[in-house]
Amino acid sequence: MFKNILIPVSSEFYSKDVLHRGVFLAEKFKSSITLIYIIEEKTLDQTERLSDTYRTSYEMEETKNEIIKKQKLAAYSIIFDDAEYILKNKKIPFGEKIIEGEFSSVIKRELMKNDYDLIIMSYEKKCLLKYRVLEDVDVPIWVEAKGKGKSILAVCSNLAPNKKVPEISLKLSKALGWNLHMLYIVDVEDSVQVDENGIRSDKKPERDLVITGQNFVQEMKNKGVNIELVKGNLEKETAKSAEKINPNLVIVGREQKKKGVLGLPTKNVKRKIAETCPYSVLFVN
Amino acid sequence: MNKKNNLLNNKTKLRNGKNIFFIILAFAIVAIFYLAPTPEGLTHNGQTMIGILIMAAILWITEPISLAVTGLLVMIMQPLLYIRTPTQVFSSFGSNAVFFLIGAFIIAGAIEKHGLHKRIALRFLSFFEHNPRLFTFGIMLSCASLSFVMPEHGVAALFLPIIVSILIVMKIVPKQSNFGKISMLAVAYGCSIGSLGTLIGGARNIYAIDILQKAGQNVSFIEWMIYAMPVVFIALPVVWLILQFSFPIEISDISAAKREINKQVKQSGRMGKGEFTVLLILVLTIILWMAFSSTTYYGLAVIAVLGGVLLFLTKSITWKDVENRVPWGIILLYGGAITLGVGMQSEKLGGTGAGEWIAHVFLNIAGENPLLVILILIIFTAILTNIMSNIAAVAILLPLGLSIATTFTNISPVLASMIIALTGGLAFMFVISTPGNAIAYSSGYFSTRDLLKAGILANVLCIAIIFIIAIVYWMGVLQL
Repeated sequence: MFKNILIPVSSEFYSKDVLHRGVFLAEKFKSSITLIYIIEEKTLDQTERLSDTYRTSYEMEETKNEIIKKQKLAAYSIIFDDAEYILKNKKIPFGEKIIEGEFSSVIKRELMKNDYDLIIMSYEKKCLLKYRVLEDVDVPIWVEAKGKGKSILAVCSNLAPNKKVPEISLKLSKALGWNLHMLYIVDVEDSVQVDENGIRSDKKPERDLVITGQNFVQEMKNKGVNIELVKGNLEKETAKSAEKINPNLVIVGREQKKKGVLGLPTKNVKRKIAETCPYSVLFVN
Repeated sequence: MNKKNNLLNNKTKLRNGKNIFFIILAFAIVAIFYLAPTPEGLTHNGQTMIGILIMAAILWITEPISLAVTGLLVMIMQPLLYIRTPTQVFSSFGSNAVFFLIGAFIIAGAIEKHGLHKRIALRFLSFFEHNPRLFTFGIMLSCASLSFVMPEHGVAALFLPIIVSILIVMKIVPKQSNFGKISMLAVAYGCSIGSLGTLIGGARNIYAIDILQKAGQNVSFIEWMIYAMPVVFIALPVVWLILQFSFPIEISDISAAKREINKQVKQSGRMGKGEFTVLLILVLTIILWMAFSSTTYYGLAVIAVLGGVLLFLTKSITWKDVENRVPWGIILLYGGAITLGVGMQSEKLGGTGAGEWIAHVFLNIAGENPLLVILILIIFTAILTNIMSNIAAVAILLPLGLSIATTFTNISPVLASMIIALTGGLAFMFVISTPGNAIAYSSGYFSTRDLLKAGILANVLCIAIIFIIAIVYWMGVLQL
């Protein structure tokens, strides 16, 4: 299911949990792991921009080189060292590298160069990182957070094609032996129906959206899936159900929400879910 | 690839669009103040000067152009709008303080070139390697002490690799360890607090001295230290306690840090001839500053330049080093700030009287309670210095503070200047507040939220410290 796993770690944030999760999945699916340490150029740029008037370009270059040198040292002495320890006595093909650049751009470039089936990363909103990668790439992204449960919450809705989420959640549930709970959310804030190709319909009456949802629920029930239909806000209902079920993993699809409160565009649905949900989230784009 | 390029182009366009908006807004403000009818008590020149002050504030906060270029713009706008003649404007730039800054930067450059600062830093740190708490206090104290003799940003840049090396050897994971957080925050805050202590730490200190001198008040190097050092020595342990309270340290063993410091001390070897010469000249310059910097003797600039020249004569520094290490941008920013300050002063001091008019408006609103006025000045400076360059914040507020002071018998110009200049160094809350914060942040050991969490508390308590020192020590004991 996942042959090649990419684990990007930013110099802005590192959690050992991503390595544990990567190894866990690699063992289950016999995958290879590539660990990239990304030296965030945004932080370096910001330091230079702020020091612009106060320090000479020579001094700024000196400081920048020192920062890069120390970050590389941190990568080798802490992160790669952790990886080596966790991978000890495990026959998992493993590669590591250090790249300078912007988090999302580096990942996208890496995806163009090599075939990856899964990205595992951690999420930390208390830093300067912009997680554009959540919206921009087609490869599934697993955002790791420590969960205690042994189940999966798969989220489908009127705002997604709902093709990949059921497929992947069923496979994962079987492979990992975790219970599967599925949720179909009728998002009343954005009353459109997204078709199988990801195209949004015109505005539809709530009744029609509910009927489509009920059909989907019935279809899943026929496959033996434990599923529930709810109405409300996609992000809030996801967080509410996750709290109730206490899953190890929440799977979210290619949600295409265009409007939020007061009709303003909600561009970062995935980022919001990753921020508000205290469980690991798998975004299936 | 195209999509990526489009995204980058869109971002650049957006940034350019924002920059153009702020530049247009800044000039529009000047135009409005130039064309609008003048209120009673304010001259047309004074009104236009207020427009230039607001223009400078907008450009220094939003930074669509370099801070130094805004400094140049402030200088040329005054003759362009016939507020002051070119001779008046540029003569206020050619002051003692500018040459003090040049001399001080040359000395700091020599210290950096020979690695003397690193030796001093390691020596300091080696006294505090007994336990983790003491070690973090040692970092703060070392940063503060070095900021007495060289610019705070240089000290932050020096300490970053030293502390990160120690943290890496200790296997401290970035952002996940409270010890890591405190260690790096101690660098940022130690440098900021230390920069208050002498005239060398921050250009805003010498700016205050210069503006005071132009208003007929002299403060020597040693007098500044007598006024400012109590703030440093009270703020240092208080902010250190805030860090301990905000991020309880989780480790107890510091032997790896001790080994790393010893290793780095060994690597730096014995003190070389050049390093020793720089140390001698530095000590001599400081002694001269302390003993002979009052106006009765040579003043600050002569001694600073003498120190610089001695470094050249002993071949401790070359002109190439000066080109590499003297930030001329800050001198231009300073130039703009000083002409702004003089332009806002009363007409008899060569200004437009705009500051006095604002002071009257302010006092009509705030009332004439000196304690309230002092508190408002401190709070306002603390807010402004957190969202813009320290010296720019002081440049905007000091002329107003001085004008307010002159209308009060209880607040002397020296007192107002100390309040604003020292509070101007308390930029604790954001990464953008001061380059020292940004340099420490780039280590990756603390998050923006960590900085805000500790910074808010540190700012509130330091506001209280400066307020109490202003009332009890400056007004009460020293009768400022």
